[in-house]
Amino acid sequence: MKVLVAKYDACLRSAVSENKMALRFTWSLLSEIPIARCHRAVSTSAARYVDDLTVKQVEPKSTHKTLMTSEEASHEKAVSGYITIDTPHDITAINGVPEEQLKTRRVLIKIPTKNSMQSGTNNLHRWKISFDEKQRWENPLMGWASTADPLSNTEVSFSSREDAIAFCEKNGWNWITESPPVKPPRVKSYGANFSWNKRTRRSTK
Amino acid sequence: MASKLARAGVRQVKPILSVDHGEARQRVLNLYKAWYRQLPYIVMDYDLPKSKEECRAKLREEFMKHHHVQDIRVIDMLVIKGQMELKETVEIWKQKHGLMAYWKDTVEPKPQGFLNKFLDGHE
Repeated sequence: MKVLVAKYDACLRSAVSENKMALRFTWSLLSEIPIARCHRAVSTSAARYVDDLTVKQVEPKSTHKTLMTSEEASHEKAVSGYITIDTPHDITAINGVPEEQLKTRRVLIKIPTKNSMQSGTNNLHRWKISFDEKQRWENPLMGWASTADPLSNTEVSFSSREDAIAFCEKNGWNWITESPPVKPPRVKSYGANFSWNKRTRRSTK
Repeated sequence: MASKLARAGVRQVKPILSVDHGEARQRVLNLYKAWYRQLPYIVMDYDLPKSKEECRAKLREEFMKHHHVQDIRVIDMLVIKGQMELKETVEIWKQKHGLMAYWKDTVEPKPQGFLNKFLDGHE
């Protein structure tokens, strides 16, 4: 507050220079702060004096930045930019999940199994995470299934295994991954359908 | 394939409040001091059945719980949460049991070992 008052006085200083009382009051406040801070002032009059008339003068939008000290301004600029960190991404300290849910859970990362009834493979292009099973029981009220596990039916899809692993690491879960089964490509040759010594013969019906 | 991948790497991120470790550390110390100075009034206002020394030990324990945190943004977020907690406590938006929950004196320890869990009705 004192700094604000001092700045306000600094701009008044020229206007009230005849008034010796005001000048003394102004200087008593100014003496407590470095001169470097006083050069920026808030205009309290309609008349504005500019040095260079060729440069277009722009009225400051807000007093917030005008009233900041140089340290505050440089800090605000630094905060609006980027910082460099080298620590692993870990949000377990701030996400509020109980410790037992972090330490005891294990996540399985895999590509979902192909539905053997259908021929489509479009749902295989993603990696899913699923949590290990916890106790379930039959609720005596209605006979429905109950569980106390908040993550029991959670399934999250990722576009790659690395994304899924990074997510688990970030949340502090133990994880294992399962690679999809590698099937050798089936030979698609017309002649193989009629081979007499290979087990590739097929009915034409 | 349960190999852990090393995920630490130098990268550019957006800061929350602090731009370096020194500043984050100063924020933590300020928060600790604010709590420390408020503790006698908290004990009095909430009529806690704890002494100032016990509260100070608990305060220290709560801060030391996160002493391993290195990420500047996580430290800032913890400071913000601690500040909110302090505000709630000072304004008496909490109740007595909300503060006594820090000591967990009514929480029964969970059974350890297979047999104890079995006898308790789990597994």
